[in-house]
Amino acid sequence: MEECLRKVAENGDRRAFAELFSYFAPRVKGFLMRGGATPEQAEDLAQDVMVKVLRKAQLFDSSKASAATWIYTIARNARIDAIRRVAKPDLDENEPMLMPEEAPRADAACELKEQAGRISNALQALPPEQLEVMKLHFYEDEPHSAIAERLNLPLGTVKSRLRLAFEKIRYELEDLNE
Amino acid sequence: MSDINHHPRFETLADFAAGRLDEARAVVIATHAALCSRCAGAISDLETIGGAMLSSAPVVDMSTDALERVLAKAGDAANIVIPEKPVSDMPENRPPLAEYLTGPLDDVSWKPVAPGVSQSVLEAEGYRKGVLRLLKIQAGTRMPKHSHKGEELTLILRGAYTDNVGKFQVGDLADLDGDHLHEPEAIGDEPCICLIATSAPLEFKTMIGKIAQPFVGL
Repeated sequence: MEECLRKVAENGDRRAFAELFSYFAPRVKGFLMRGGATPEQAEDLAQDVMVKVLRKAQLFDSSKASAATWIYTIARNARIDAIRRVAKPDLDENEPMLMPEEAPRADAACELKEQAGRISNALQALPPEQLEVMKLHFYEDEPHSAIAERLNLPLGTVKSRLRLAFEKIRYELEDLNE
Repeated sequence: MSDINHHPRFETLADFAAGRLDEARAVVIATHAALCSRCAGAISDLETIGGAMLSSAPVVDMSTDALERVLAKAGDAANIVIPEKPVSDMPENRPPLAEYLTGPLDDVSWKPVAPGVSQSVLEAEGYRKGVLRLLKIQAGTRMPKHSHKGEELTLILRGAYTDNVGKFQVGDLADLDGDHLHEPEAIGDEPCICLIATSAPLEFKTMIGKIAQPFVGL
């Protein structure tokens, strides 16, 4: 997928973009629907996200993030912007992205691949109840208290499950970041 | 900015990475992360988890003409976005904070709120209500003892202050919950300027004017 993004960035390769689209667009749509968007809203937003992917492909830096991570941040920000437009209809289109500048790391591409593999293994190894709150944390826009209510759990339990899940994944990442 | 000793709680970073913070708090965290490689690294790890979550999200078919529509909307290559680089290392010139300021910190319209203390409210109520403001405390001024209603993030942009937690200087961030009681004192030779995000109670805007609200929820 990183290779596809590179081709899109270099010469606007339509076939490479179509490949990115067929993998990511349905997942972005599913991601947004898990967060409470209607199928129509999710379709529109997923299209907007893919427009941004195409327009911003030159900003993708494979030493800083994988394609999935980069597209995740675009989808996350698009969701924030969409909710904000409802709250504040007169907002400027070209608002700042709420993104910190990240420092590139040494041997980044290789490291990223290893990192993605480890994270995905660590996620699969999580107990189901921890994976569930981790998914809700990323998919949903609702406060943790609302998630707790829906799962019929005390808020403290949701928070501690989330903390345990993060700790395990960070433990996997730790020696990579040294 | 290598000398940062106070960081956001991990939970706050996790909320930022998942897009769960209100706009005001997101601006403060992003500004801190622009100065702090440790927190930028933690956010980047969290976003990698987000990327894995996206990859494992349910697959929902797009409409049949979606790709054509996207290609049409994207138009030609003239639309490609190149980010602007910050003009200096000063925190107020870094994105995203720079976008919320109308000019240099010295030219902000400060409104006095107490002896030795003035503030400037920034437009960032956002998609979820929160209040973003700058507070300037003259050196030697001690703030009245107070606790915090709701969660509050304070990032030091200039100068320094001390309280019972420790010394806070440029780049340091205080991530306080509702129970924390303190009376910070600005120290050093210059005024201490902080960027503060508060999760705002509803009555903030409706009942009290923006000028008279400083000690509510401070």
